[in-house]
Amino acid sequence: MLGSLNTRVMLEYLPAIWQGFLSTLMLSAAGFAGALALGIVACALSIQPLRWLRLSATAYVDAIRATPLLAQLYFLYFGLPRLGVVLPEALIGVVALSLNSGAYVAEIIRSGILAISRGQVEAAISSGMTYLQRMRLIILPQALRPTISPLIGQAIVLVKDSSLLSLISVVELTRAGQMIAIDRFMPVEGLVATALAYLLLYYLLKLVAGAWSHQNRLPGPA
Amino acid sequence: MIEFTDVHKWFGSLHVLNDISLTVTKGEVVVVCGRSGSGKSTLIRCINGLEPFQKGRLVVDGFDLGSSSVRLRELRMEVGFVFQSFNLYPHKTALENVTIAPIHVRGLSKAEAEVRGRALLEKVGLGDRMQNYPHQLSGGQQQRVAIARSLCMQPKIMLFDEPTSALDPEMINEVLEVMVSLAREGMTMMVVTHEMGFARKVADRVIFMDRGAIVETADPETFFTAAKSERTRDFLSKVLHH
Amino acid sequence: MFWLQLNRVVGYWPVLLKGLGMTVALSVLALLIGSVIGFALGILRAGPNRTLSRAVGLYVDFFRGTPFLLQVFIVFFILPQVGIELSAFTAGVVALSNVAGCFIGEIVAAGIQSVPAGQKEAAAASGFTRAQQMRLIVLPQAVRVVTPSLVGQFVLLIKDSSVVSAIGLLDLTRSGWMIVQNVPNGLLVFGIVGLGYFVICYPLIWLSRRMERRGQAPVL
Repeated sequence: MLGSLNTRVMLEYLPAIWQGFLSTLMLSAAGFAGALALGIVACALSIQPLRWLRLSATAYVDAIRATPLLAQLYFLYFGLPRLGVVLPEALIGVVALSLNSGAYVAEIIRSGILAISRGQVEAAISSGMTYLQRMRLIILPQALRPTISPLIGQAIVLVKDSSLLSLISVVELTRAGQMIAIDRFMPVEGLVATALAYLLLYYLLKLVAGAWSHQNRLPGPA
Repeated sequence: MIEFTDVHKWFGSLHVLNDISLTVTKGEVVVVCGRSGSGKSTLIRCINGLEPFQKGRLVVDGFDLGSSSVRLRELRMEVGFVFQSFNLYPHKTALENVTIAPIHVRGLSKAEAEVRGRALLEKVGLGDRMQNYPHQLSGGQQQRVAIARSLCMQPKIMLFDEPTSALDPEMINEVLEVMVSLAREGMTMMVVTHEMGFARKVADRVIFMDRGAIVETADPETFFTAAKSERTRDFLSKVLHH
Repeated sequence: MFWLQLNRVVGYWPVLLKGLGMTVALSVLALLIGSVIGFALGILRAGPNRTLSRAVGLYVDFFRGTPFLLQVFIVFFILPQVGIELSAFTAGVVALSNVAGCFIGEIVAAGIQSVPAGQKEAAAASGFTRAQQMRLIVLPQAVRVVTPSLVGQFVLLIKDSSVVSAIGLLDLTRSGWMIVQNVPNGLLVFGIVGLGYFVICYPLIWLSRRMERRGQAPVL
C-alpha cells in the first residue's frame, strides 16, 4: 500500500500540510494555556473550605469527564450563537479544548497535592517553618514535580483532540490532509502525510516527558 | 545428590562464587552461613537454576546444570525452594497455593492434590487455615504454607533461602520446628540461615562463606567450638553474642 | 419559546434513543474485541522477545500518537482503496477496537510488569512452564491490578465512539447533529446529548474511582 504512495503529490502539498501543522501547534498551545489556567483555578476551588465552590468545581470536572469532547464542541458551536455570542470557529475550538483539558489538568494537580504525606507537613511544622515557607520549600516542589509527566501526557491528548476542530471547519492539520484527499482524490497521500506530522509532535512531546522524568527521578519509596 | 565442582560465577566484575566445590549426599542437612553479600544465597539459587553460573560443573540429582540441554523444569519438580519473602500467590488460598503446582506440573487430579495438600497443611500446623488467603496469615504462617507448597511436589531435595530472616522474632520458632522435623525425617536439605541453634540441632555439616568462597566446612560441634579460620571465628562471635 | 423547542426536541426521542443504542453497541463491541487485542499485545509487549516487544511498541505508538479521527478516516477511506469496503459501523468497530486494544495493551503490559519478580521465581521453582506461569500466576494478579484502569478505559472508549459520527454513523452525537439542523438551539440539543453520555459514563467513572481507592490485589 505504501509502495504505491504518490510522493510527488505529497511534496506538492507539503506547504499546505506545513500550514496545517503550524495551525495545529498554535491551536494546541493556546488551548493548553487556557487548560492550565482553568485547571489551576478548578483545583484551587476543589480544595478550599467553601462547600458550594467545591461542589461547582467537582461538577465542572465530572461533567467534562463524562461527556465527549465532540459533543462539548458542538454544544458551543451550535449553542453560542443562540446566546448572541458570535465567535470565529478557531476561537470556539480553543475554548472547547481549554474547557475539556482544564478538567483533566485540575485532577492531575489535585492528585499531586493530595499525594504529599502528612508526615512531610508535620516535619516542616516541627522544624519551625511558617506556612509560606512550608508551601514554598516543602509542599509545592513535591506536589508539582510529579504532575509534569501527566501534564505532558495531557498535552499529547490535547494535540490529538484538536483534530476534531476540523469538524467545525477550522483549518488545521487534519483538515489540510483532508483537503488533499478531496482536491486530488488521493486520500492515502493526504492522510499518511497528516499521520506522520502528528507522530512527529507525539514523539517530540514524549521525548520531553522522558527527558524530564529521567532528570527528576525522585529517590524514595517506589 | 548435589555436586559442585570448581564453580565460578561473576556479576559483571564482581566474583560472586569463587571456585565452589561441594558435595551433598542423600539425606544430608547442610547449613550455609556467612555475611550478607557472601554469595550464600547465590549458591543455593544455582542449584535449581534460578541463577546461571559461568564456569565449573554442577550436577543435581543427575541433571547437569552447566549443559545447555538441561531440562530445568524436570529438575525443579525434584527440588523444593523456600524463599525469604515467601512468595505465596496472593490470589490463591493456602490450600490452592499448595496444590496448584502438583495439579498443573505433576498432573495430579484436583482431588488427589487436595488430599496431599490437606495432609501437609495439617503437618505444618495450619489445618484450620486452608481457606485463608496469604494476606490473612501471619508471616510465620505464610512461610509454613510455602514449605508445605514445596513439599507437596514430593521433592527429593529442599532448599531454604534465609527462611526466617523476614519474620518477627516470635514467629521464627514455628517455622524452625517444621524444618527440624523435616530434617529428622531424612530430607536432603540445604539451608541458608543465621539460626545457629537450628544448625547445632540438626545440621550434618555447617559451611561458612565469605566473598564468594567456602572458607570453612565442618560438623556443627567442630564448627562452633574449634573453627580453623579467623574469619569464621570472627563471624561466629558476632552472631552468637546477641 | 424554550418550552416549544424542548417539546420539539423531545419529539425526536426515537432518533436520540437509536443514537444512544448505537453508541452503546459500538462501545461494548469495541471493548470486547479491544480487550482481546489488548491482552495479546500486552503479553507480547511485556514478553521476553525483544524484537516482538519493540514491534508491538511501534504499532501501539502509531495509534497512540495520531488522532482517532484520522484513524477513522484511514480505515474508512484507505481500506476501500485496497479492496476492503466497510460500512460506517464496521469501520467504526474496527478503528475503535484497534485503538482500544493499543491502550489496553499498554495497561496490561504495565500490569504484568507490576507483578513482583519473586512470583515468577516461585512459579519457575515449582516447575511451571512459561505459559503456565503467565496463565496461572502472573495474569490473574495483573488483571486485578489493571481492572480499575480498564473501567476508566471503557469511559474513554464510549467518548471516543462519538468521533465515528464524522463518517456518518448515526450515534448519539450524530443524532444531536441532525436534530440541531431542525431545532436551532445547540445548547438545548447538545445539553440533552451530553446528558445521555453522562448517564452512561458517570457510573463507570464512579466505579473506577471506587475500585482505585479500595486497592485491588492484597499486597504482601
